[in-house]
Amino acid sequence: MNGPEIFDLVIPGFCGMGMHLKLDGFRLVYTCIAVLMWTVSGIFSREYMSHYKNKTRYYLFFWATFAATVGVFWSADLFTTFIFFEIMSFTSYVWVAFDERKASMRAAETYLAVAVIGGMVMLMGLFLLYDLLGTLEMDEIGILAGNLPPSQRGRLYAAAGLMLFGFGAKAGCFPLHIWLPKAHPEAPAPASALLSGILTKTGVFGIIVVSCNIFGADYSWGFLVAVLGLITMFLGALLAVFSTNLKRTLACSSVSQIGFILTGIGMACLLRSVGEGNSLAVHGAFLHMMNHSLFKLVLFLCAGAVYMNLHQLELDDIRGFGRNKPVLMFAFLMGALGIGGIPLWNGYVSKTLIHESIVEYMEAAGGDLFWHAAEWVFLFTGGMTVSYMLKLFVALFVEKHPHRQAEFDALGSVKRGGSGEKRYMNTASGAALGITAAILPVLGLTPHMTMDRIAALGEGFFRMEGHAHAVEYFAFANLKGGLISIAIGVFLYVVVIRGLLMEGEGAGRHYVNRWPQWLDLENLVYRPALQASLVLSTLFCRALDSVTDGFVRILRLTTHRQLRPAREAHDTNLAAHMLGGFLDRVQKNRDGSATAALVRKEEQTRHILRLVETSFSFGLMLFCIGLCITLGYLLFMFFGR
Amino acid sequence: MYDLLMAVSVLLPILSGFLLLILNGPIKRGKHEREMEIGVEALVLVNSFLAAVLIAGTGGHSGNLVLFRLYGELTVMFRLDRMGSVFAGLVSFLWPLATLYAFEYMKHESRKPMFFAFYTMTYGVTMGVALAGNLVTMYLFYEMLTFVTLPLVLYPMTKEAARASRQYLYYSIGGAAFAFIGLVCVLSFSAIGTTEFTAGGMLNPDLAGQRKNLLLLVYVLAFFGFGVKAAIFPFHDWLPKASVAPTPVTALLHAVAVVKSGAFAVLRFTYFIYGTSFLRGTWAQWVVMGAALVTITFGSTMAAKEIHLKRRLAYSTVSNLSYILFGATVMTPWGLTAALIHMVAHAFMKICAFFCAGAVMHQTEKTYIHELNGLGRKMPVTFACFTVSGLSLMGIPLFAGFISKWNLAEAALSCGADAAAAGNPGAFMPYLGVGVILYSALMTGIYMMTVSVRAFFPSLVPGGAEEAAGKETGGKEPEATDPNWMMLVPLVTFVIVIIGIGLHSEPLMRILTLIGGEAG
Repeated sequence: MNGPEIFDLVIPGFCGMGMHLKLDGFRLVYTCIAVLMWTVSGIFSREYMSHYKNKTRYYLFFWATFAATVGVFWSADLFTTFIFFEIMSFTSYVWVAFDERKASMRAAETYLAVAVIGGMVMLMGLFLLYDLLGTLEMDEIGILAGNLPPSQRGRLYAAAGLMLFGFGAKAGCFPLHIWLPKAHPEAPAPASALLSGILTKTGVFGIIVVSCNIFGADYSWGFLVAVLGLITMFLGALLAVFSTNLKRTLACSSVSQIGFILTGIGMACLLRSVGEGNSLAVHGAFLHMMNHSLFKLVLFLCAGAVYMNLHQLELDDIRGFGRNKPVLMFAFLMGALGIGGIPLWNGYVSKTLIHESIVEYMEAAGGDLFWHAAEWVFLFTGGMTVSYMLKLFVALFVEKHPHRQAEFDALGSVKRGGSGEKRYMNTASGAALGITAAILPVLGLTPHMTMDRIAALGEGFFRMEGHAHAVEYFAFANLKGGLISIAIGVFLYVVVIRGLLMEGEGAGRHYVNRWPQWLDLENLVYRPALQASLVLSTLFCRALDSVTDGFVRILRLTTHRQLRPAREAHDTNLAAHMLGGFLDRVQKNRDGSATAALVRKEEQTRHILRLVETSFSFGLMLFCIGLCITLGYLLFMFFGR
Repeated sequence: MYDLLMAVSVLLPILSGFLLLILNGPIKRGKHEREMEIGVEALVLVNSFLAAVLIAGTGGHSGNLVLFRLYGELTVMFRLDRMGSVFAGLVSFLWPLATLYAFEYMKHESRKPMFFAFYTMTYGVTMGVALAGNLVTMYLFYEMLTFVTLPLVLYPMTKEAARASRQYLYYSIGGAAFAFIGLVCVLSFSAIGTTEFTAGGMLNPDLAGQRKNLLLLVYVLAFFGFGVKAAIFPFHDWLPKASVAPTPVTALLHAVAVVKSGAFAVLRFTYFIYGTSFLRGTWAQWVVMGAALVTITFGSTMAAKEIHLKRRLAYSTVSNLSYILFGATVMTPWGLTAALIHMVAHAFMKICAFFCAGAVMHQTEKTYIHELNGLGRKMPVTFACFTVSGLSLMGIPLFAGFISKWNLAEAALSCGADAAAAGNPGAFMPYLGVGVILYSALMTGIYMMTVSVRAFFPSLVPGGAEEAAGKETGGKEPEATDPNWMMLVPLVTFVIVIIGIGLHSEPLMRILTLIGGEAG
C-alpha cells in the first residue's frame, strides 16, 4: 500500500531537530512534476527573460525555489516541511517583486505578509502539536493522535487548525486567497506558472498531511475542509468570470481549482468517517492536484507568450492575438479543455472522481439537503470554469482586435530566418509548450492505463482505506455530471459573459469589469484591520513607554520638587518660607513670588510682636518690682514689730 | 593554577584600563596612537586566550578562589561553572572582534585613550560577572559595570548623551538597590550561611517555607532590580536613549555585555539562589513572566514604529532580552536551556545588526531608515549581513534565531502543560507567551525586512528609486562603499556563526541542556 519507497534519509541535528526526507510513490510523482515544470519554465524563461536585467538574480532564486520546493515534497516530518516551506516563501518573494514596479511592490508586500503570517501561525500549530504528541514524524502523528484522551482533542483541533491556516494561506484557500490574484499578474509568467502550478501545491501537501495523517476519519475535520473547499472553488470561479485580465483570470481559476482539491481531501476524511472506502476521493484529489499543475503550466506560459510580445494582459488589448498561431492555439486549447473538465481530457477524469465521491458519501450518509446543494455547487462551479475558459479562448483566438489585428497576424507568419522581424515565440519555447500541452489529452484518453496507475502511487500517502475499484469514466452515469457542467458553462457564457459583462456594439464591443471595486477582501478588511491594530498597539506602547518617566516627572513636580532658593532667604523666617513655598507651588504662574510678600508680612508681624513683647515685659517688670516692694513692705511690717 | 587564572582574566583588563588612563596625556598628543591600538588589541586577545584556556582546562568546573573578605561571610569569590563558561566564552569571543571594529569606527574621533580605557575595563568587569562564585561578588561587579560604562555613554559629550547617561545612572543605581534587598534577604534565609551559587537553589527549605510570601515578594523585587540592566518593562527606557553612544558601545555593551549581564544575573538569581522548585507555580512566577511578555510585545511594536536605525535596533534588543527573561521565568530545565541558547544566538545576531548600522553610519553618516534607499547595491556585503541577522532575528529556519525560538516555545508549552495538569490558575500564561513570541516575530519581520527591502529594492518604496538614482548622478556625495577589512571581518564572522549555529546546533545544545539539567 505504501508504494515503492526509494529512499528514507534522516539527518540528525540539522537545524536543531534533525531532518527526515523520504521518497515514496506520492513524492516521486510530485518530484517528477516539479522537474518537468521547472525544466519547461526554464526553457521558456530563456526567451521571456532575455530583455530583463538582473537575470542572474532571477535564475538564482528560480533554482533555489526549486530546491526548497522539492525539499517540501520530500519531507517526512513536519519540521522539515516547515524549514523548506519558509525558505521557499522567501525565495519566491523575489519573483513577485522582480519587476520592481509600484504594482509589483504592493503585490509583493501582500505576498510576503501572507507568507510570513501564515508561516508564524503554522509554527504555532507545530509547537502545539509537538508539545501534544512529542514528535512531528508524519508516519507517527496519526497513531499518536488517535491515542489521545478525549480531553486533549480540543488542543489537537487547535494545533491542526493553526496548521491549516498556515498551509491554506500558501494554497490560496478562502479567506487567505488574497495574494494569488495580486501576485500572479505581477510575477514574470514562468514564475507565475510555478507559483500557481506547484507552490500552491506545497500548501495542499501540508493540508493532506494534516487531514489524512492526523485525522483520517474525523467527521468534523473532513466537513470543515470540504466546506472551505466548496467556498473556495465557488468564489474563485466567480472572480474569474468577472475578471478581464488574462493572468488574473488564470490566478482566480487557480483559487477555484484548489477548492476542488480541498473538497476531495475533505471527502476523503468524510468517507472514512462513515466507514466507507475513500478511494474515489483520494484518487480524485491527487489526480486533480497533478492535473492542475499541468494545466496551469501550459496556460500561464501561453499568457507569457502573449505578454512578452505585447506587454499587456487586459483582454481588450490582447484580443485576437492568438489568431494564426497554431502552436499557441493548440497549447491553450488543450489547457482550456483540460481545466474545463471536457471528457477525453484529463481534468474530466479527476473532476468526475471527486464528484463521484460526493455522490458516494451522500448515499452512505443518507444525503440531506446540504450535500445535494454541495453537489450542485460543484457542478455549477464546473460550469463557471467552462465559461471563463471559453471567454479567454474566444477573446484570444476568435475575436479580432479593432486596429492592431494585422500587426498581430504578422507575428505569427514570419518565415524562419526572415528579414529581421521577430516571431512571437522561438522554436525552443514553442516545442516545450507544445509537448507539455500534448500530455493533457494523452492522459485524458488513457485514464485506466495512465491516470489510475499514477493515482495508485499516492494511496499510501493519503492513508487510503478500502480498495480502489475501476471507474467507468465514459459510462453515461459518469458523463452526466460533466455534460451538465458543460451545458451550464455554455449557458453562462452566452447569457452572462456576452450579455452582461460586455458593452458596446460591433467592433467597439469590449469587456468590462463589473466586479465592484470596493469589494476586495484585502482592502476592505485585512489592510484596515492590520493598520488599525498597529496604530492602536503603538498608541498603547507609546503610553507605556512614558510611564516610568512620567511617574518620575510627576514626583519631581509634586513631592520631590527642587526649590529654587528664595533671594530673601532668611533662616529665621521659617514659617513664611514653608507657607510661601507651598503657595508658590500651588500658584506657579503668578507674578512675583508669594514668599517675598509673606516674608514682608512676617517681618511686620514680628516687629509688632516685638513691640508688644517689649512693652508687655516692661510692664511685667514694673509689676514685679512693685510686687517685690510690696513683699518687702509686708515682711518689714511682719517682722519689724 | 586555573583558579588564579580566573583572577587574572578579570583583573588584567581592569588594571590595563587604569594604566591607559594614566598614559592618557602622552597619547593624546596624537603620537603613539598606532601603538596604543596594537597594545589594546593584543591585550584583549591575550585575555580572550586566557579565558579560552580557562574554560577548556577546567571543563566548566573550577575550584573556589576567594579574593578577599569584605566582612564576615561576605567574600569576593570566583568560581567557574558551566553556565559561567557559556557567558565568559561568549564575551571573550566577541570582545577582540568588537575592539577591532572599534578602532576603525573611532578613527576620526578624539579622546581615544579614554574611550579604549573604559572599553577594556568593561571587559574585565563583565568577566567578573561571568566568573562570580556568589551573589555578593556578582552584585559587586554588577554595580561596577554601571560605573565603567557610564563614561562610554557620556562619550559624545552632547546634551543628549548627558541626559542619556544620567538616566542610565539613575535606573541602574535604582535597580541595584532592589537587587540589594534580595541580597540581604537571601543571606538571612541561606541554608549554607553564605550566598554561594548552588545549582537548584540554596534557600533553607524550613525557614523559607514559613515566610514564603515575603521571599516571593523579595524575588519579584530582585527580578526587577537585576532586570533593569536587561531592560525589563517599565525600566527599559534607558536602553533606546543610550544608543547615542558610539556604535561599538551600543553594539557590544548595549546588545551583549551589559544587558546580558542583567539577564545572566536574573538567571543566576532564579536558578542558583532561589531554585525553581521554590518558585514554580507561585504568583511570583506569573508576575515576572507577565512582565517579560509585556516587554516583548512592547519592544517589538516600538521597534516597528521607530525610524532611527540604531534606536530601532535598541528597541529590538529590549524585546529580545525579554525572550531570555521569558525563558528564565519558565523555570524548568528546558527553560534555562532555551534562555541560554537565545542569549548566545541573540548576542551574535544583534551585534551583527548593530555593526552593520555602524558601518553605514561610518561610511555615509546616515542614521535614519528612510535615508537608506538603494544603499544595499552599494554596500552589498554590509547589507547582506544585515539581512542574515534580520532573518535570524525573525526566527527563520537555517539561522540561529530559529533554534532559540523553537526551544523557547517548546519549553513554554511544556511548562504550560505541567501547570495546567496541576490545575494552576496561571497555566494560560506560557501559552500566551508562545503567541507573543510569534507576534514579535511578525513585528521583527516588519522592522528588519523593511530596512533590507529599502536597501536592496529602492523602487519598492515611494520615491525611493529617484532618490537612489539621484544620489548616483548627483555626484555631490562620494560614492558609498563597503567598509574596510577591520569592519568586514567581524561582520562576516558573525554571519558564519549565525548560520553555523542554525545548521548545526547539536554540540552547543548538548552543553546547554546539561546546564539546564543540573540547575533546573
